[in-house]
Amino acid sequence: MEGLRSLLLESLSRYGMPFPVDKKVCSSWTNELPRNGSTIIFTSCMYQIEPVVPILSKFGPYTGILRGVASLAKMVKPPKEELERAYRILNNIVKAIKRKGVDLAYLYEEEPYSGAVLLEMGMLDEFAEHARKVSEMLKERGITRVITVDPHTHNALKRYEEFVKFDVEVVSYLEVIDPSKKVEGGFTIHDSCLYSRFLNLREKYRSLILNSGISLKEDFFVTGRETSTCCGGPIGGVDPKLSEEIAKRRASELNRLSDKLLVVCPICYVTLSPHFKGEVKDVAEVIL
Amino acid sequence: MSWDVAISRAVQNNLPRVYKNLENFPYVLDLARQLREAKMEVIRNMEKYVEMTVESVKRIGGIPHVVNTVDEARDVVGKIVGTGKTVIFGKSMVAYEMGLRDFLKERNNEVWETDLGEFLIQLANEPPSHIIAPAVHMSKERAEHLVRDKLGDLRKGATHEEIVNKVREFLREKFLKADIGITGANAVAADTGSIILVENEGNIRFTTVSPPIHIAVAGFEKIVPTLYHAMIEALVQAAYAGLYPPTYINLTSGPSSTGDIEMKRVSPAHGPKEFHLILLDNGRLDASKNPDLMEALLCIRCGRCHLHCPVYRVMGGRWGIPPFTGPMGAMWSYVTHKDPKPATLCTHSGGCKEVCPMKINIPRVLEKIKHVYFKRS
Ligand code: SF4
Repeated sequence: MEGLRSLLLESLSRYGMPFPVDKKVCSSWTNELPRNGSTIIFTSCMYQIEPVVPILSKFGPYTGILRGVASLAKMVKPPKEELERAYRILNNIVKAIKRKGVDLAYLYEEEPYSGAVLLEMGMLDEFAEHARKVSEMLKERGITRVITVDPHTHNALKRYEEFVKFDVEVVSYLEVIDPSKKVEGGFTIHDSCLYSRFLNLREKYRSLILNSGISLKEDFFVTGRETSTCCGGPIGGVDPKLSEEIAKRRASELNRLSDKLLVVCPICYVTLSPHFKGEVKDVAEVIL
Repeated sequence: MSWDVAISRAVQNNLPRVYKNLENFPYVLDLARQLREAKMEVIRNMEKYVEMTVESVKRIGGIPHVVNTVDEARDVVGKIVGTGKTVIFGKSMVAYEMGLRDFLKERNNEVWETDLGEFLIQLANEPPSHIIAPAVHMSKERAEHLVRDKLGDLRKGATHEEIVNKVREFLREKFLKADIGITGANAVAADTGSIILVENEGNIRFTTVSPPIHIAVAGFEKIVPTLYHAMIEALVQAAYAGLYPPTYINLTSGPSSTGDIEMKRVSPAHGPKEFHLILLDNGRLDASKNPDLMEALLCIRCGRCHLHCPVYRVMGGRWGIPPFTGPMGAMWSYVTHKDPKPATLCTHSGGCKEVCPMKINIPRVLEKIKHVYFKRS
C-alpha cells in the first residue's frame, strides 16, 4: 500500500484530486454561481467523479487504478448520462439552497478536494497537511461557511478542527433545504454510515423524505441505526473484492424490503446500483 | 454449510436475543456504564492494579504469576503442568493467544478443550471463527461427521442433542481423570484476588473444580477494581453475548478448603489444592499508556461488534489474527501482535461502536492503527 500512498499524493498534487481527472469534469455542472462569496457549495467533485470509480476498480485496487490511468488524465471521465445525472443533482441542490435565501458561491476548478480518502484510509499526517492547505485557502478567500453535498466531504471537513485551526462553519445541504416536490410512493432507504452513525444527520434526512410524502419501508434489522451496514464502497480502494461482496449482501437485504431504493451518498449509489434489483435514486433527485 | 449461510443464521438468531435482553433487563445498561468506568480506572493505573491483584491472590492462598510475553507464559505453565498429564481447558482466548494447547501437547500431555465449540474445532484442527461461538462456521452435518469420525459410534443423521450427548460422554471421563484444569477469566477482582467466569455449558465449572490444579490465565485488562465490578462484568458480558441470565457464573478465590474439623482451615477439600493465576501483559501495558489504543482494553469479549460489522460478515475468522477476529480482533491483532494490517480493512460502517457495551469507538481506534500502518510502510 506504500505505492498507493505515493500515487494518491502524486495525483493530489498534480490534479488536486485523488484520481487523475480533468478539473473541468468537476466544475462544468454550473456557470451561474459567482466565484466569490463568504458561503460556498463544496462538492469535492464527489458526485461528478464517483461514477468512474467502479470502472476503474475493475483494474484492481487503487494502486492498479492509478498506475493504469495516471498518464491518461483526460480519459478518466464518467459516461455521459451519469455525468448529466450528477450535474442535475448538484443543480437541484443549489436551487433548493437558493430558495432558502442563501447567497451561494462556487470555486469552480479551484475548488479543493476535501482529503476524505486520506482520512478514511488512515493517512493522518497527509490528511493534516491537506487540511492545512485547504483551510488556508478558504481563509484567504474570506470563506466563512461551506455547504457540503455528500457525507464523505462533510465528515472530512467536520474533522479538520482536530488537525488544524479551522474557523469555517460546515453544514450539509440537508440541514439547509426543504423538499420541493410532493412525491408519492414507497422506497426503502440505505443510510450513509457517516451521516447515520457519525454525523447525526440520520433523522434530518428522514424527516425531509417523509415531508415530501414518501413512505419509507423500514425494518429494524435492516435499516435500523445500529443494524444497518455500510455499502462496502469506502473499502473499494483497498480490497475491491471485499467491497463487492459487502455490496452484494447489502443490496439483497434491502431488496427484501423494496425494489425502490433511496440513497444519500454518491458512493452508496455507485456501489449498490449494480447489485440492487430495481431502481436506485439519490434523495436529491427525488425530493428536489 | 457456507460461511454466508452460517453467519446469516448467527445474525438472525443472536441480534434479536441481545435486544430482548436489554429490553427485559434494562439495568444491564447501567451496569455496563459502571463497568466502563471501573475498567478505565484500571487501564489508567494498570501497574498499580496488577500489583494489588498479585497481593490479593497471595492472601487467599493462590499463586500469582506475572508474565510479559507468551513465551514466558508457556514456560510458567510448562513448569506447573510437566509432562504425561491430562489437561482440560475451559474456553479461553488468552490460552489460545499463548498457544497453550499445542505447547502442552508437544510436551506429551493429553489435552482436551471442553467447551463444545472449542472441542469441535480442536477435532477439526481449525482456528476459531468467532470469539464466543468458535465453531459458528460449522454446520450440524459437519459436526456430526466430525464427531463420528473422531469418537466413533454415532448414528447417521444424529440430532443436535445426540451429538452433544456423545461429546458429553467422551469428556465426562476426561473431567474426572484430569490433572490440571486451565481456564481464562472474564474478570479478576483486584481487591480480593477472585476470578469470575461466566458460561452456559457447565464445562468451566467442572474444569475449575474437578482437577487438583487449576490454572487461570488472564490478560492484565481483565483486572477490575473490586469483586463487585467482576460480578458486573459477568452479567454484562452474558447479556450482550446473547444469553441472560447466564446459566453459570463461577467465582474462584484461591484453592478449595474446609474448616469443618475443629474449625481448622485445611486445603484442599473437594476442589483443587493449587490455584495459579497467570497475568499476561503481551502489549497490554503499552496499549494502556497509548491514548489512541487504550479504549481497546475495555473490550469484554461479548462478540457483538462482529455481528454488526459488514467486513466480518463477509470474512469471518479470516479477518484478524485468531483468536482476535472481527472489529475487536482488528484492534487486538495490533495490541498483542503489533500487526496493523487487519485494521486497514475497516470500512467505518460504525455499527460496532453503536452496539459495543463498553462504548469503544472502534472505528476511531482502527483509524489510528491504520495511521501506524502507513507510518511504518
Ligand atoms: S469491542 Fe465491544 S462489542 Fe466488540 S467484543 Fe469487545 S466489548 Fe463486545
